[in-house]
Amino acid sequence: MVYQQTKHLHYQILKLTGEVDLHNSPQVRKQLLAILKNGSSVLVDFSSLSYIDSSGIATLVEAFNLAKNSKLLLTIVGAVGAPLQVLELTNLNKVFHMVDSLDDIKG
Amino acid sequence: MKLIRYEQYNACTTQLCKIRTEVRFACQAMGYPETDINLIALAIDEACTNIIRFAYCGDKSGRIVLEVYQAESQAIFLLRDFAECIEESCLEVKSKCLTEPGGLGLQLIHQIMDSVQLIPPPDSVGNILELKKRLPQG
Repeated sequence: MVYQQTKHLHYQILKLTGEVDLHNSPQVRKQLLAILKNGSSVLVDFSSLSYIDSSGIATLVEAFNLAKNSKLLLTIVGAVGAPLQVLELTNLNKVFHMVDSLDDIKG
Repeated sequence: MKLIRYEQYNACTTQLCKIRTEVRFACQAMGYPETDINLIALAIDEACTNIIRFAYCGDKSGRIVLEVYQAESQAIFLLRDFAECIEESCLEVKSKCLTEPGGLGLQLIHQIMDSVQLIPPPDSVGNILELKKRLPQG
């Protein structure tokens, strides 16, 4: 798994590439929580993500709760394939704010 | 019952990717569609994650044995560890709010697989988790 952090409008983008599992989800958690603690809303780009397990999903849930309590936004962008299946299986697709692409994000 | 795969791994998170790859190969060989393969690989990954975290408590010298069998109407995945024996109640899913931490992996395993149970190891050492999934039709 590799991640890349960029900016879009007033959002920080965290783009995840490859597979997120227990081995690397602590890295994602650290990065995601740091963005939110800095006071930025975050777009988590799933478009190049091929796999995510429950430790990755738990990280997103923790970040989502932190964002909500901090009046910030956490949005998942471009989830397809296996990661989308996991979100649907857990019904978290109804909890998280999800969009198909960055074009759907308005300033 | 036909043995499809037999592999051994260290109880280390670096092995999870290899385990998923082996499970995907085995599922492809048994004719599962891509969507099922993704989910079965997730269920086995979650079970191995629980073995690494809770059975071996992070001891990387522990061993995990994966066996995959094709029976008449179902695939059978056996995961053996050599840690302390656990109770069947450890496999129960507690009803909870999805946005609270913990227990999600076990919930996914039960949602994906048709049957999840502990079976007694032949020499009473460790645990064997048996997970079954119906084979695709046709």
